[in-house]
Amino acid sequence: MLARVANNLFWMGRYIERSEHIARYMHVNYFSSLDAPNELSRSRQFMLRSMLRMLGDPPPQENEELKESDILFKLALDPNHPFSIISNVQHARENANSARDLISTDLYESINKFYHFVLKYPVDVFLKKGLYDFSVNIIEMSSILRARIRSTLLHDEVYAIIMLGVNLERANQLIRIINAKYYDALNAQGGYDDKFSKSFEWTTLLKCAEAYDMNRRFYKKTPTSLTTLEFLILNPNCPRSLMNCLNQVYMHVRVLDNSFRYDNHSTAFLVGRVRAEYQYKYIDEIEADIKTFIEIMMRNLSDIGQKMEKEFFHY
Amino acid sequence: MSLEYSITYKAENHYDHPVKEASWQFLILPDENSTQNQVEINFNNSLNLPLEFSHNAYGFRTIRISAKEQFMDIVFEAHFSLVKEHTNPFNFQIANSLEEELKKLHQLEFKVDFEPFLRKTSLTNLLEDHKQLFLFKKDKSLFENLQELNKWVFEKIFYTPGTTHVGTVLDEIVANRHGVCQDFSHLFCALARQNGIPARYVSGYLHQGIGYFGDSQMHAWAEAYMPEIGWIGFDPTNNLIANDNHIKVAHGKDYADCAPLKGVVYSKGENRTTHSVQVSSQQQQ
Amino acid sequence: MSTTESNIFSSYQRDPSLFDEIYDKQGNVKNVYQTLFKLYGEHSINDYMLLNEKAKSSFFNQGITFQVYSDKEMQEKIFPFDLFPRIIDAKEWEIIEKGAIQRSKALNLFLWDIYHEKNILKQGVVPVELISSSENYLHQMMDVDPPGGIYNHISGTDIIKHNDGNYYVLEDNIRCPSGVSYVICNRTALKRALFGVFNHYQTHTVTNYAENLLELLESVKPHGVDIPNTVVITPGMYNSAFYEHSYLAKTMGVELVEGRDLIVENDFVYMKTIKGLEKVDIIYRRIDDQFMDPLEFRADSSLGVPGLFSAYKKGNVTLANAPGTGVADDKAVYTYMPEIIKYYLDETPILNNVHTYHCSRPKELTYVLDHISELVIKPVDEAGGYGISIGNRLSKKEIEEVKKQVKLHPRKYVAQPIMSLSVHPTYIDDVNSFEQRHIDLRTYTVLGKDKEFVLKGGLTRVALKKGNLIVNSSQGGGSKDTWVLKD
Repeated sequence: MLARVANNLFWMGRYIERSEHIARYMHVNYFSSLDAPNELSRSRQFMLRSMLRMLGDPPPQENEELKESDILFKLALDPNHPFSIISNVQHARENANSARDLISTDLYESINKFYHFVLKYPVDVFLKKGLYDFSVNIIEMSSILRARIRSTLLHDEVYAIIMLGVNLERANQLIRIINAKYYDALNAQGGYDDKFSKSFEWTTLLKCAEAYDMNRRFYKKTPTSLTTLEFLILNPNCPRSLMNCLNQVYMHVRVLDNSFRYDNHSTAFLVGRVRAEYQYKYIDEIEADIKTFIEIMMRNLSDIGQKMEKEFFHY
Repeated sequence: MSLEYSITYKAENHYDHPVKEASWQFLILPDENSTQNQVEINFNNSLNLPLEFSHNAYGFRTIRISAKEQFMDIVFEAHFSLVKEHTNPFNFQIANSLEEELKKLHQLEFKVDFEPFLRKTSLTNLLEDHKQLFLFKKDKSLFENLQELNKWVFEKIFYTPGTTHVGTVLDEIVANRHGVCQDFSHLFCALARQNGIPARYVSGYLHQGIGYFGDSQMHAWAEAYMPEIGWIGFDPTNNLIANDNHIKVAHGKDYADCAPLKGVVYSKGENRTTHSVQVSSQQQQ
Repeated sequence: MSTTESNIFSSYQRDPSLFDEIYDKQGNVKNVYQTLFKLYGEHSINDYMLLNEKAKSSFFNQGITFQVYSDKEMQEKIFPFDLFPRIIDAKEWEIIEKGAIQRSKALNLFLWDIYHEKNILKQGVVPVELISSSENYLHQMMDVDPPGGIYNHISGTDIIKHNDGNYYVLEDNIRCPSGVSYVICNRTALKRALFGVFNHYQTHTVTNYAENLLELLESVKPHGVDIPNTVVITPGMYNSAFYEHSYLAKTMGVELVEGRDLIVENDFVYMKTIKGLEKVDIIYRRIDDQFMDPLEFRADSSLGVPGLFSAYKKGNVTLANAPGTGVADDKAVYTYMPEIIKYYLDETPILNNVHTYHCSRPKELTYVLDHISELVIKPVDEAGGYGISIGNRLSKKEIEEVKKQVKLHPRKYVAQPIMSLSVHPTYIDDVNSFEQRHIDLRTYTVLGKDKEFVLKGGLTRVALKKGNLIVNSSQGGGSKDTWVLKD
């Protein structure tokens, strides 16, 4: 496979995954905040700031009054914002276009439909009443894309590259979401159930990763900081956990590099190393200093991405 | 008797922004032919990139170099040596009459065979008004006519570096009367072809010991074909018949076929390039 | 004929001066169309409108589109597609196929000759000016032997039916003829919309194009290569034919590369893969000559591969079509096709050539200037239907303007009698009914080593504007599925 095209497919996977996470974060936070148990969590400004943080936007001024429609537009349909859903979908389709000969007709057609859906979504409808409709459609279409990636492509290098993009981005988005919600949990202390570890924000965090029901089923009690983080970071059986993503990344990178020759400069080595470090960690070790964990993990993921680029996409 | 020449070619390139990828093709190697032999080549570049030897469309040797790692500066330096046989450029029989010579030029087969060097290219095209600039005289031989053309071009254009560039069209040069060796050679070719004589553009080195015009870069002249004699080199920049001092590199329809250096550089911003050529000789017994 | 009120053909109007593909002179539906006519007649206009909309959205969703820029905004459009197919029976097709092969072979021999001995020029059969004034004649190709001796691997021959009922060739496209992917898309779309009609006809498949193309390309692999590695090279995804490039790569199962994916080392071509460099042996090229290699041709081309031509000259890679084939694509060369076929094959042309007046010849120029209103004036070097003037559509002022241009650059123009392209019932969106529209046919011929292939189908292009004769997609043309019937 051409290195340039591999790079495009990798990013196609990333963009598809990214748009889904933004869509979910947006609507989960919006709806959770409507009847949140404490005043701060219910505050529009609090919720909007959380959205911007997750998107990676520079933080607004402390006393700046954010306008809801501005922020929602920025996240979803602003073609000039590089991280908006519409930009992501545009990039995904652009990358798919350039690799059109390698992906299935079915997959391409779904990406194309996805693109036209977002492109044609009327901004006023979205801002007035379309938030839920728009978000669930984005989520649903991303699921269709993943299904078509899995079921209509030969499971060879092309597939492995796309899945690397999907899983690396999922890990990335998860860390961003944890970062944003951790910050919210810290700030939302106060009110009648105000302990950090029992913050309402943990429930929201789980929902942002579509893992609330799974978490309830596994722990059978109200999520706390410990159970939430353990579930989302360390439990490999949670499909959106960091551990699960790292396992997938490792598995797929092995398709590209199956030499098993000892090479501590390879991407496979680095992925294996990061994975091994967290495979047998206790959550208390992480929870004690979440901030540092987030910083290290962000760096790890970015290092993996850069190594991949050098090893496979350098052209 | 022969002369031993040694030539130094140097090109220094500086780029304001890092270059990600680049390819160059040099057409600067002295040609091996009946009067030029024992050509030796020593070509270095500051990045120690490997050299690829190949041939251009007319069979002249090229050197290709590609860079895949980032850089901002590169210096190419080449040393050539060769032995140039001494020849007398007038050592041939001048044909009897222009008429007989023209008869050959007008044969269809001749026109087809020499089509490349009879055609108008974008660099050797003249406006209708300019086509009548130089007409051959019926009472003289082809060679004499070409000598006159050589002189005519020499006198028509003032050698002035910096007034033209590789893309300047001929009509502009005729109107302004300033130019460099490329322009002299193109004008010579255009008018020779206009009169039905195959003419080709030649690039090479000029030994400047005796104070000829040229520059400290590569030189250009022309070759014209006469059915009775063959190809003869004319240097309209100096009003000379090409001789021992002219070291040929390549020929073609015009400059575009003979550009000494072609490059494709993937970078943004400006670049600065300096070229220099030095030719020195030593008489051999 | 059905007489139902809502019959989709009930409002169809025939102009008796035009050759209608489905009605004969007496106004009866021709035999070969009768079943189809009956089947389509069973649909009401409303049914048909729905089918038409579905077919359109199918093209749109599949991304078989091109980009249009209007008011700074980019819009995606589909190529208009007509659900009523054009039928060519086995007997007529045989003529077309043989004629197309004859022309491709003659052109190939012509190209070999003008890049080697040039006998046809030396003997004065065609004038030397044909090449000496052509920008597309590449001296770099002189004495280069293309692998397998093939220059024009792929030819697109544009054929029309005149109102005398005979086929005429209008053009031989041998640079990078495009459109073949639409032949296949049209078939797919028609099958999806009206699968039932196929049960009543024995139609040749068109989906075998890619496999035949690959086989014939591989038959002219470079010397010494055992299992060749083939790629398709594209100018990139913003090229208007990118869909076709990706389609061909995909269906041949080969890589689709851009210039920047390839490098030349020691006169061999390699592509940059995730596992390092991989040698490339055959390149199906959708980049024009001048953009192919910045070290040999246009230095400002970022689409090409530095050193590619040098590798080609060494015989280390096959380029299809070969560089320099464009010279025979020239409309001036077209006018000598009967002579060219006679000279190399000692045959008479199977397909007619339209008579052509050369404005470069003083006598013919005089005729052209006197008869502009009866002629089509064409520039010899423009593709895509640009710069064509049709004499009987011009105002007095426009005629004077054309005359001026032709007098100024006689070599640039040729003129031909106005050919009347046959018409075919075509569904027109704006009026929701069938109307007569002019059509032509582009056939695709592939030459390999001692073997050739003509796609049994081709692209029927439709001039959608009423009365318009120019069918090119860039000029608002649409297309139809083309059925070649089995014997």
